[in-house]
Order: sequence, then structure tokens, then C-alpha cells
Amino acid sequence: MSDNTIVGIEYNRVTNTSSTDFPGHQANGDYSWDIEKFKDSFEINISHITERTANFDLIHIDTSIANAFRRIMISEVPSVAAEAVYMFMNTSVIQDEVLAHRIGLIPLKVDPDLLNWVDKTQDENDRYTEDNTIVLSLDVVCTKNPHAPKNSTDPKELYRNAHVYAKDLKFEPQGTQVESFKNSPVVPSDPDILLAKLRPGQEISLRAHCVLGIGADHAKFSPVATASYRLMPTIDIIEPIRGDSAKRFQQCFPSGVIDINSNGEAYVKDSRKDTVSREVLRHEEFDGKVKLGRKRDHFIFNVESTGAMSPEEIFFKSVRVLKNKADYLRNCPIGQ
Amino acid sequence: MADTAEDVHMTEEKVEEEQQEQEYDLDKIKLLPGASEDGTAASFQIIDEDHTLGNALRYIIMKNPEVEFCGYSIPHPSENKLNIRIQTYGNISAVEALHQGLDNLSELCTVIEDKFSEKIEAGGYKTTEP
Amino acid sequence: MASPQREGFSIPASISHAALGQVTSKSLGVRYNCAQCAASFSLSKNDAIRCKECGHRVIYKARTRRMVQFEAR
Repeated sequence: MSDNTIVGIEYNRVTNTSSTDFPGHQANGDYSWDIEKFKDSFEINISHITERTANFDLIHIDTSIANAFRRIMISEVPSVAAEAVYMFMNTSVIQDEVLAHRIGLIPLKVDPDLLNWVDKTQDENDRYTEDNTIVLSLDVVCTKNPHAPKNSTDPKELYRNAHVYAKDLKFEPQGTQVESFKNSPVVPSDPDILLAKLRPGQEISLRAHCVLGIGADHAKFSPVATASYRLMPTIDIIEPIRGDSAKRFQQCFPSGVIDINSNGEAYVKDSRKDTVSREVLRHEEFDGKVKLGRKRDHFIFNVESTGAMSPEEIFFKSVRVLKNKADYLRNCPIGQ
Repeated sequence: MADTAEDVHMTEEKVEEEQQEQEYDLDKIKLLPGASEDGTAASFQIIDEDHTLGNALRYIIMKNPEVEFCGYSIPHPSENKLNIRIQTYGNISAVEALHQGLDNLSELCTVIEDKFSEKIEAGGYKTTEP
Repeated sequence: MASPQREGFSIPASISHAALGQVTSKSLGVRYNCAQCAASFSLSKNDAIRCKECGHRVIYKARTRRMVQFEAR
């Protein structure tokens, strides 16, 4: 675990990019799978977790595993979105199918664990039940505002319901949902998404059926806005950089990465903040004095939730999805 | 190695007992033509899986010292099929290597889940964006 | 010149109401919306094509409340 795990970043190339931690790959070292060794070496550092975003490091783990979690968070952790839209009236300028599409893309605050999967083999009329469907309704009519201030040109003052927002979607609990969703009524996680603009006399009246789905089927079901990782940057200063040169050196990096000590010598303060722009490699002055790299087994994850689940829950679920995949396949009979 | 093999076997039985009720897809995984007679080298085709499982499984199978080669491919991007090739040095069969890989992957997930919940419970992280 | 008769097809003796463009319930007429004042009113066959509120001559047929299903995709 020395330089072996550092990806070299040079002016116009990268080096040492692929994992070599396999048995028989190198003369020294035992790289066979050992859960105890993994348990000891594997590390997680959480930088911050807010309602919508999480930033954490997975350290001493292979790319294939980290990437699996990233992929699963984006496309295989289930969430709820509108799937069928029943349009009773739409006299707005936005076409029925476009409006239906927009409603589908609204992220909803629904705990996916409260719903079952819809059986798509069933007849369309029997498919949606109170166990697997959330019903939302949107009924707005635009009218003139009789009390509008004179000379106003603002549609919001001139008319009522000129703008239709995601918050205008009303949850209609079905049967037992009255009880089960009592403490967490379904609302859009971002209430101010503009759906349509209306003028007096125009009307929208529709019902939307929201169901469970996965991002692999349609992006509207993805529980994350982004789920990404980057590798931890490393900066090695090989020869001391002092004085004005140090100041110029500092300028090559984002603020907070390089600091200058009392001797006027540049040192690496926080390489995590580096964007690895390679600006420093463009200057002849620093030729051979600095080495850039990234730790191949140190992943800085950034997960942004769309609001239905907390970001850490999404990561948890991605781990469980991968585990389920392995367990399920383990028990599947192998056909010929 | 012998110890771990036994452990794996015990957990296998438990899982099988628990999950007897669950139905397994008979077409999920099949053996592709071109396996060696003794079963130490074989290719499998898995339905409805992609790079997510493919690459992770390839990695963990390659970590097995009994495995000489493991590779995977998705033969066509619009067919949801995953081909995985396993060749062993001869002490275990390809199917055994596959099963050990899946078990290892499963326990790896358990370790990650435990560690993450441990860290969440321990707290000490920021709850606002910097 | 006699038109050639197709087998299994006979010219209908009387034209249906729908084909005539007649509204079955005559009393109601057809709903229209005024393009100028957004008033909603109904006109029957012989009425002048004008808004009943403001007299504007551009009017739209109102959309029916028949439900249409869409996939939100």
C-alpha cells in the first residue's frame, strides 16, 4: 500500500491507472480475498450529511465496488413518481402529453417502503390499488382578479392561478392510506416547480397515479439528482518552493490547497480541495518540483437526493441492493 | 482456506432454509457452451444484469487465489445479458468459484453496511453544507 | 355512369345523424368559448357566430370533459 495505489497525473497522461491487487499479479504480497483484512483496512469518513446532500469517503475499496454503489444509487434504488396521468380537462397552451411528462418528472416526498410494486402483467384497470399507488389531483381554473391594481401588467396580480406549481398537486389518500400516510402526506419535495402558465378561462383538471420504479426504467424514478465520486488528489512537493515562486505555486491551485509557512515555503495544506486542474504542470518553473496524483482506492462520494429519501438512506439501500443481487444469484439454479 | 470454505458452506445451508419459499428465476443464469469437461473453466450468461454486478463480481472472483482467469462482457448493449468467464487452476470448479465470489461479495456488502451505520450513529459530522 | 358496386357493400339509404353533423340533443347546442372575453356559451345551428356576451366573432369550440390517459414519460 505505498505508491502502488497512486494514479500518476502528468502533463498529458495518466499512469498506473488499474488495480493490481490480485493474487499472482505481483511477486510480493498476498492479495487473496480476506474479509477480516478488508474489515480492518476499510474506512469510511463522513464529511457532511444534510437533508439533501451527503459527502463521504470510502477508503481502501476497489473501483469496481465503489462504482457499483454509484451506479445502483442512480439507476436501481426504487422511488416513486407519476406514471399514468388521466386528463379530464386541459385548455392551457401546454399540450396534454407535455404536461403529463412534466408531472412525471416532479420528485415526490414519499417513503418508497410504504408502497408495493405494481404488477405490470395485470390488466390496466386492476393494476393500481391502494397498496401500490399514490393518487394526486390537479384542478386549477384561471380567472381574472377583479381587485387587480390599475395599470398592473403582472400576470400574478391580474389573474388568479396564472401559474400552476407542483404544490398545487393535491394528495388524495385511498382507503387505508388515510391512516398509513397520516403523518407524512405526499407532497412534491420541491413545491415551486412551475408546471404551466394559464390565462383567464383556461383550466387544468387531471389525476396522476404515482408508482414505484427504478432509474434504469426512467430517470424520473431515480432517487438522486447526482451520485458521483472522485479520487482523493495527492500533491507531492519534491523540491522546496520558496518566496515569490511559492506564491505563484499557490496560485496554481484552488484556494486552501497550498499554504506558505513562516519560512516562505509552500506546503500542501488540504489536497482534498484540489480539482486536479494540472495548471501547475503548465509552468516551467515548477518542472520536476511537484508530482500530482490521485489515490486509486480513496473515493470521495457526493450524493444529492431529490428529496424522497435522505442521501445516507439512498447509499444504504444501494449496498443492500448489491447484496441482494449477490444473494439472489447465489441461489439461482444454473441452467444449461 | 479450508476453514473459510466450511463457513461458507454453513451459511449456504442457512440461507437455503430461510429462502425456501422465495422463488428463483430458472432462466436467470445459464452455462454457456464451451466449458471444459472437468468443469474448471466455464462461461455463464446472466440475464438482467450489467456492469454493476459484472465488474464487481469479476473483481471479487479474481481475488480468489484458486482462479486463474475471470473476465466479463456485455455482448450487445441493447441486450440485457452479462457473460462471465471463469477459469480455475484446477482445485475448484468454475461454479464453485462463482459461488464463492457471490458469497464474498455478499459479506463485503455486510461489512460496508455495518461500518457506514456505525459511522452514522457515531455522528460527529457536519449537518450543514460547508 | 353507374358506379361499380363492391361486393358486400350497399349504399346506405339514409344518412345517420352523426354523419350529418347534427347534435342529437338539439336543445343544448354546442359549447363555445369566446376568444376575446373567455365567456362560455352554447350556440345552436342557426345562431349567429358571435359571442353572446361581447359580440366578438372569434370563438373556440370547448374541449369535452372526456378523460384521456397519458403515460408520464
